[in-house]
Amino acid sequence: MSTMTMAKALNAGLRRALADDPKVLLAGEDIGRLGGVFRITEGLQAEFGEDRVIDSPLGEAGIVGTAVGLALRGFRPVVEIQFDGFVYPAFDQIVSQVSRMRFRSHGRLGVPMVVRIPYGGGIGAIEHHSESPEAYFAHTPGLKVVTPSNPLDAYWMIQQAVADDDPVIFFEPKRRYHEKGEVDVEAEPLPLYSARVVTPGTDATLLTYGPMVRTCVQAAVAAAEEGRSLEVVDLRSLSPLDDEAVFASVRRTGRAVVVHEAVGTLGLGAELAARIQQECFYELQAPVLRVTGYDLPYPPSRVEDGYLPDLDRVLDAVDRSLAH
Amino acid sequence: MNEFKLPDPGEGLLEADIVSWKVAVGDTVAVNDILLEIETAKSLVELPSPYAGVVLAILADEGATVEVGAPIIRIGRPDEASASVPSPSTSGAGPATPPAVAPASPASEALLVGYGAKSGTATRRPRKGQVADAPPAASVPAVAEPAPVTVPPAEPAPAQGAVAAVEPAPVPRAKPPVRRVARDLGVDLATVAPTGPGGTITADDVVAAAGGGSAPARAVSVPQDGERRVPLKGVRRQMFRSMTASLAVPQATAFVEVDVTATMQLIDTLKRRRDFTGLRVSPLAVFAKAACLAIERVPELNSRYDAASDEIVLPQDVNLGIAAATPRGLLVPNIKGANRMNLLELTRAVNDLVPLAREGKVPPAALSGGTFTITNIGVFGVDGGTPIPNEGEAAIMCLGTIRRKPWVVGTGEHERIEPRSVCTVTITFDHRLVDGEMGSKFLADVSTIMSDPALALLF
Amino acid sequence: MTEPAGTTATDPGDVPVQLLAPDGRRVDHPDFAFTGTDAEIAAHLRDMVLTRRIDTEATALQRKGELGLWPPLLGQEAAQIGSARATRDPDLVVPSYREHGVAWCLGVDPIDLLGTFRGTDMVDWPSRPDGFHLYSFVIGTQTLHGVGMAMALQREHRVGNDDAAANGAVVVYFGDGATSQGDVNEAFVFAASANAPVVFFCQNNQYAISEPTSLQSRIPLYRRAAGFGFPGVRVDGNDVLAVQAVTTWALERARRGGGPVLVEAFTYRMGAHTTSDDPSKYRTRDEEGEWGARDPIARVKAYLLSVGAIDQAWLDDLAAESEALAERLRAGCLALPEPLLADQWSNVYATTPDRLVRQREEYLAYEASFAEEAR
Repeated sequence: MSTMTMAKALNAGLRRALADDPKVLLAGEDIGRLGGVFRITEGLQAEFGEDRVIDSPLGEAGIVGTAVGLALRGFRPVVEIQFDGFVYPAFDQIVSQVSRMRFRSHGRLGVPMVVRIPYGGGIGAIEHHSESPEAYFAHTPGLKVVTPSNPLDAYWMIQQAVADDDPVIFFEPKRRYHEKGEVDVEAEPLPLYSARVVTPGTDATLLTYGPMVRTCVQAAVAAAEEGRSLEVVDLRSLSPLDDEAVFASVRRTGRAVVVHEAVGTLGLGAELAARIQQECFYELQAPVLRVTGYDLPYPPSRVEDGYLPDLDRVLDAVDRSLAH
Repeated sequence: MNEFKLPDPGEGLLEADIVSWKVAVGDTVAVNDILLEIETAKSLVELPSPYAGVVLAILADEGATVEVGAPIIRIGRPDEASASVPSPSTSGAGPATPPAVAPASPASEALLVGYGAKSGTATRRPRKGQVADAPPAASVPAVAEPAPVTVPPAEPAPAQGAVAAVEPAPVPRAKPPVRRVARDLGVDLATVAPTGPGGTITADDVVAAAGGGSAPARAVSVPQDGERRVPLKGVRRQMFRSMTASLAVPQATAFVEVDVTATMQLIDTLKRRRDFTGLRVSPLAVFAKAACLAIERVPELNSRYDAASDEIVLPQDVNLGIAAATPRGLLVPNIKGANRMNLLELTRAVNDLVPLAREGKVPPAALSGGTFTITNIGVFGVDGGTPIPNEGEAAIMCLGTIRRKPWVVGTGEHERIEPRSVCTVTITFDHRLVDGEMGSKFLADVSTIMSDPALALLF
Repeated sequence: MTEPAGTTATDPGDVPVQLLAPDGRRVDHPDFAFTGTDAEIAAHLRDMVLTRRIDTEATALQRKGELGLWPPLLGQEAAQIGSARATRDPDLVVPSYREHGVAWCLGVDPIDLLGTFRGTDMVDWPSRPDGFHLYSFVIGTQTLHGVGMAMALQREHRVGNDDAAANGAVVVYFGDGATSQGDVNEAFVFAASANAPVVFFCQNNQYAISEPTSLQSRIPLYRRAAGFGFPGVRVDGNDVLAVQAVTTWALERARRGGGPVLVEAFTYRMGAHTTSDDPSKYRTRDEEGEWGARDPIARVKAYLLSVGAIDQAWLDDLAAESEALAERLRAGCLALPEPLLADQWSNVYATTPDRLVRQREEYLAYEASFAEEAR
């Protein structure tokens, strides 16, 4: 067991994946010699060589498209998109090719690729560096979408994603890269597509993922001081969603609040609300509420604190839920 | 013999024009020989023959507009020539759906009709029997959609009696409107026995539980120590609660004795009218109408206080509550927009309400949103009293027993005593919203109408 | 200021490499030669004739309503046969969506080509799974996949070995319009950067639907390669000998570790873009006639007859073979199995997730609830 940052945990997980399977390759801009702009891939090129840890030319479509060719030939590419806002040039390759190759080939051709994307805001960045585009990918059949919220999950989930024969979009909450946590590199990990109850509670369920998990845990602590017991569920997997865990929690508490940075309209919260009202209709004491980014392009960093859900907005939603 | 139907020449077109035939009846054609040229919305297209043989019939004229799927030519063996009757279609509307002659395989017939935009139908596909009878094919899904009998595996079985310490209590299942009713009636859903599909609690279940019903769990307990103990539940609990709340309201009462003989005569007249046939006509309806008319002149009697904004709210409509003694206790269902009803409509509304109240089947919506209440204590033989306004309302008015009493009628030298039908009308009002003058004026107006209903025309 | 060189000035390389003139005469070229036998040329003729027959039949099938769409390769037979015949295992071939002649050469059953256009299937090649990738309909996307495969060959140590037979390269096909796509240009970048063993085979058939190549590029397409740092060659796409010679050179170079090459096969799309297109709206019969005079099949036939390598009997046999193939194609098309929606859930993921399993079962239950046969 050791304490490490999420960045180090990802680095360790990637190192282990590279060591365990010679077919695993990394590719992306600046990931080799520099070790990545967030140092996630630091030291890996020196250890595994330029053939396996590749500095790519600057073109996201090219990075993903060539990775398709490599994957079709039996390699397991793990490509990095440098920032969330730069995934869009690769969107066509991901949605038109990566997600569909298995479907169009009767299951014969799989694309066992991982696309790593640092995402989310709260780091005072300029435009295009604080996006949350996960819904576009969760909406695409054929892809899997996961996001760790802490170093332990980061360490294990990256390895599990690499080992999966399906393409996985791996969203890394960049504002949490430097936060530390305990990582047991020998423990049996949770299955990749399972949600986790982070803190149990009885009065309401907070459903969240990625950077907002920590925010929700802090909100639960504050709520406890007001005599309210909140259950925080880290979804971990956005596609597929762990329906059973979500429904079990909401049936127990009768109240759900979804929290995510991404724009509210047509975000993951909308899908969760739809599924919950369909399956838990008779157990709901209040409508499913969502605390999300507003329906704006991500604003200038000076006002991002007001844009992003925080402890107060989460608890305000809990208040409204409990008032029903 | 094969019949060639006009295929969709490309991407969703529904019809095409025959430009020119390249073959004639009697010609021998090979597969892929060009049969005709058509014009679509996009271009000129030559159509090759799918069949080899002799042209037996040409079924569409040059210049005709033909729908995709319509037969245009028959090709077969020479000896089949006499069997076919050419019936060229005229220009304009093409022939309707093709006859049953099936070329090649059924699958290709569907495709010969083309890939065009399917026009769709306006009728539903017929279902087999009851939808609920059709179980899913092969393996039953682990978690079905709202199939009545499926219990999600995650939910603990509702346990009666002993519940293990680690098992959470079963969650009562009720949809949101039912939960609202339960809250309004002060019912704890956990104590309600569900009778709805999938073990859900219905609104009727809640109301039954509120009324004390016949469930043994809510039965009156056996007397002990010379005392009887009755749990405070449901409607009685609600009454207790709301009457306690009304203690906070400063109330004043006023009453007036009214000669309602003219009202009784009106009622006789109404009973004989055809439009009142089958309706129970009583002074209560006139009383209700009088209240609504009087409210128009003194709307404060219909108001309420909004604490959040510290304002007096004067609604346009009168949602007239009528206090009803039901087997479950006091309920006050209200008639929405009673002010907009004429006497006939009001009579009907009251008629509809009475049996519902008696059977405890008042819909939850009728139990909320009231703005003014009337109560008929006269049915108990009581003259009057100091009624307590319904929670949140500014006033309540009650009608006492109508008795025959000696009454002074006439003026001057014609002054005399006659037996008249007389009753007492009492109002209690929230003195924060209604002052004495308003209350008295209101009462006087009601009295005026009840004593001479024709004067209602003045309102 | 004078224009920098290499933009609008002409270049000797603009003249396509040619080894067989339209009238059937053999021609010499300083840099390339066809070293095969007349028997091999006759085999090419057979390939081209049968390919053209497949194409014609498929077009007719569409006109009969048996296919929703067909993109004809009419006129491009030499470009496809010549280049495909230059490949051998372990080379990898990546088509766009018009390479029916390439598919023929690589052993794909022509009936396999039909399913996606008939709507009974997605794209797949049950008859030759390895080595020949699926058709791609997003223009140019396959160039990146081809480069990725070439990068894989490098990592599989199949490039630059002393034993040349162990080496492989990728041929990726695309058209003139595709060269404008970002993905194609990124493919050039990535291939050059990695020195990947890939032959970019561009069939410049003069049109992207209705748009002439001049709308895509101000300079001859083969010259684009120089901008990315690798060689480009323009070849007469209607000359099967020249195409094979140039492609052979390019593949051998790539297999040796020489990196990417761009081959521009200068040809003409004699047919429409697809069966939904009407070329009369944007080009003239005269132009079509000019190119018709440079037909790839005619010149080979003329040559072979002139040297006595084939005779009328040979041609009659070929015609009979062509008829039989056509018959087989027509019958095979009609016999393609109808798909079931119920089968579509199982190939979205390697292991179908629970939610999809439930969804499929709900669909089946819904269909079973109707009185008539479930679709």
